Amino acid sequence: MLITQLKSKDAIEALAKGKTVIINCKGCQEVYFPEEEALALQKELTGIDVTALIESDYICNPDNLKARFEKYMDRIEEADSVLVFSCGVGVQTVAGLFEEKTVGAGCDTYPLPGFQGVTPMEYDCAQCGECYLNYTGGICPITACSKSLVNGQCGGSKNGMCEVNKDMECGWERIYRRLEMLGRLDILRYPTKVRNYAVPGDETK
Amino acid sequence: MEDYTKFRLKSKEELAPLLEDKESIFIVACNKCFKEFKTVDEPECAELEQFVKEQGKKVSGSARIDFLCNKVLTQRQLDEQLPADAENVFVISCGLGIQTVAELSDRLIFAASDSISYDGQHGMALTNLRCDACGQCYLNLTGGICPIVDCAKSLINGQCGGAKNGKCEVDVNRECAWQNIYKRMDGQGRTEELISQPVQIRDYSKVNFNLINQYVKSIREKRFEGYFGGIHPTEHKELTEHLALVRFPDPGTVVIPLSQHTGAPATAIVVPGDKVKVGQKIGEAAGFVSSPIHSSVSGTVTAVEPRLHPTLEVDVLSVVIESDGKNTLHEFVQPCADPENLTTDEILDLVREKGIVGMGGAGFPTAVKLKVSKPIDTVLLNGCECEPMLTADHRVLLEYADDVIYGLKVLLKTVNAEKGMIVIEDNKPDAIELLETKVAGLDNIEVVVAKTKYPQGAEKMLIKRTLGRQVPSGGLPLDVGVIVSNVSTAKAVSDAIVTGIPLVERVITVTGERIKKPGNFIVKIGTNVQDIVDYCGGTIGDDTEIKLGGPMMGFGIKNLNVPIIKGTNGIIAIETVDSEESECIKCGRCVDVCPMELSPLYFTKYCKEENWEGMKEKNVMDCIECRCCEFVCSSKIPLMSRIKTGKTAIREGK
Repeated sequence: MLITQLKSKDAIEALAKGKTVIINCKGCQEVYFPEEEALALQKELTGIDVTALIESDYICNPDNLKARFEKYMDRIEEADSVLVFSCGVGVQTVAGLFEEKTVGAGCDTYPLPGFQGVTPMEYDCAQCGECYLNYTGGICPITACSKSLVNGQCGGSKNGMCEVNKDMECGWERIYRRLEMLGRLDILRYPTKVRNYAVPGDETK
Repeated sequence: MEDYTKFRLKSKEELAPLLEDKESIFIVACNKCFKEFKTVDEPECAELEQFVKEQGKKVSGSARIDFLCNKVLTQRQLDEQLPADAENVFVISCGLGIQTVAELSDRLIFAASDSISYDGQHGMALTNLRCDACGQCYLNLTGGICPIVDCAKSLINGQCGGAKNGKCEVDVNRECAWQNIYKRMDGQGRTEELISQPVQIRDYSKVNFNLINQYVKSIREKRFEGYFGGIHPTEHKELTEHLALVRFPDPGTVVIPLSQHTGAPATAIVVPGDKVKVGQKIGEAAGFVSSPIHSSVSGTVTAVEPRLHPTLEVDVLSVVIESDGKNTLHEFVQPCADPENLTTDEILDLVREKGIVGMGGAGFPTAVKLKVSKPIDTVLLNGCECEPMLTADHRVLLEYADDVIYGLKVLLKTVNAEKGMIVIEDNKPDAIELLETKVAGLDNIEVVVAKTKYPQGAEKMLIKRTLGRQVPSGGLPLDVGVIVSNVSTAKAVSDAIVTGIPLVERVITVTGERIKKPGNFIVKIGTNVQDIVDYCGGTIGDDTEIKLGGPMMGFGIKNLNVPIIKGTNGIIAIETVDSEESECIKCGRCVDVCPMELSPLYFTKYCKEENWEGMKEKNVMDCIECRCCEFVCSSKIPLMSRIKTGKTAIREGK
């Protein structure tokens, strides 16, 4: 689950030439795609000849995408460029389908917390593969602390706010408060943890 | 298909010390997401139970919950399934689910699993393509192959030089991404472009967490506005919302089906050759839940025969009348002599006799709805028109505001309710302003502004949104003291009293990006759909689909030679979208948008297995067929038809 932002008009114009097919992905419906802004910007693009404007959702689903593209195939084949407005997964899907075409990405992609959970959430899981939540009262030190510290606070917070981002609460203060409320501050006396950064599939992970 | 299952049980070596000082534990397990939906029960819960027993400890209970990270639904499940005194709650889930339970349950919880780590984020559909959401897409430079995810070192300025035979030096099972990028660019004749690119520097400050947090906040506020679930499809109301109502030219012939309502079809009381006038009854109600039918033109009955029905998709008995073009009113069409002193029974008789049925689409006879068996305190007038594209109710509010308010007053009197509310979505500011002015002096009627969200106009959502009351499963609005009526129905009630005209015409929107001249029209019941489409200039393109109603709940029709009926609120012409169904991947989004808080993913699974009992247990009968689940489904599963199949099977007692 990702959010997308339009690249600048200049950047987009530089990506395409001649006959151009534009593909807009409405994305993970109900998440975020700047639909109106994208359509407005596409109307203003100069120097290209838009031969088709295809709207779809979930263009990351290749089987469905093929079905959706069927009636546009002739125009895609004769196009000089294909411009895709979607997250990075969508652009790669289209580029994979038309390997011989210049496929341009009209958007930049930003992550949403709640990695592919069912809905964007205020908290996140960084998939570290060695869940620390047992030591922290269920608040994740990897994502709730800007520095992803696993052995307590850095000491840089001021009035409970993080020194990296003063709009963010210090994750370790939250952890302390939660454990205090539960009467289990003793849990914090765990031995020093060392995070294992091994790549997935490595036998130590 | 890729499997992005997000967690696995921690090792026995790690779990054993966690159990040491405990006698018994309670297990909360998530049923996993982002994998092919094959089994309902995932094995981890049983595995942990087994291990706990091996350690000589007890399991006091367990709860298996779908999509543990769905906070609202998980809260409900925990209230139901997690005993208040349960000690030592162990959670099997990804980090999101564990954090959710920790936050909701207000007690110390234990993580029994680790999230499995992946590079980057996959799409909503499961492919092997991933995106690291770096905020500075490099795909334009690399022929659409991502150097951040596909290169083990996330290099953005070419290969490291360590690859051997095209394989990565970090992981020999992996292809060198830069070699693939070179091949792709070379194939496109863009080698020169690739090698002459200026040096790229990755800007790690691009991903701005404040910006992202703001998005999350706004998205969540939108999601939970008023009631759980719902969606925000693109509205496209701008095509017609400012177009004033136009009286559609009188049709030469009308085809008036005797079944335009819920319940028994009316019985024809005219025969071919009969002369009829506007407002003359031509069909008599056949039972309590039924409605009479009236002629919308003056002229001659040419046939009483089965004709294709617009929504039932079968031939039903219809009265065909050739208009004489004079629109002579029937002598019974008279204003009510003493409207102020009408008794409840007199109003009910009038509403029934004038053939008024719910005009929002379902066509439930209004007189039956108003004959209440329980005390009613509130009448809600539904002016939400949450369906995208349609603007018929919007125009009725603007152009017949007084009639709508008069109709509401009559409804209030009929059911003896204290309060009337006209609910309008905030995408109709002009209607809100007008109605607010009109009801300013009335202390028992107010205008309620609701934030736009589909399906707000569904009566159960509307009641929850405006009054915070929950209609019980299988129940009706009157169970919570409410009557819901469409604004057009209120106008029809007003007409029946003020001018005496039965329900013989209605307002429809003709719109869609594939119709040449969109508009809002007052049309006579029985007018041919093809004639209306032709009048609007016809359609554009040969891949056009015509629907009666809106894009969400409308009925797709192939044969346009069907009449407008009392429940038709629009005709839309949109692009036909071909789609390809793939397997359910348990992304959980259908659960997230279902306003009735059901689990649609089970409906498709159980329907395929013909497990009607299972569908019943998952409350398929509560489904309001709003199609939100189908709208968000990334696998393009035709959920609606599966649900309908299941409902039919259950009704037939299978």
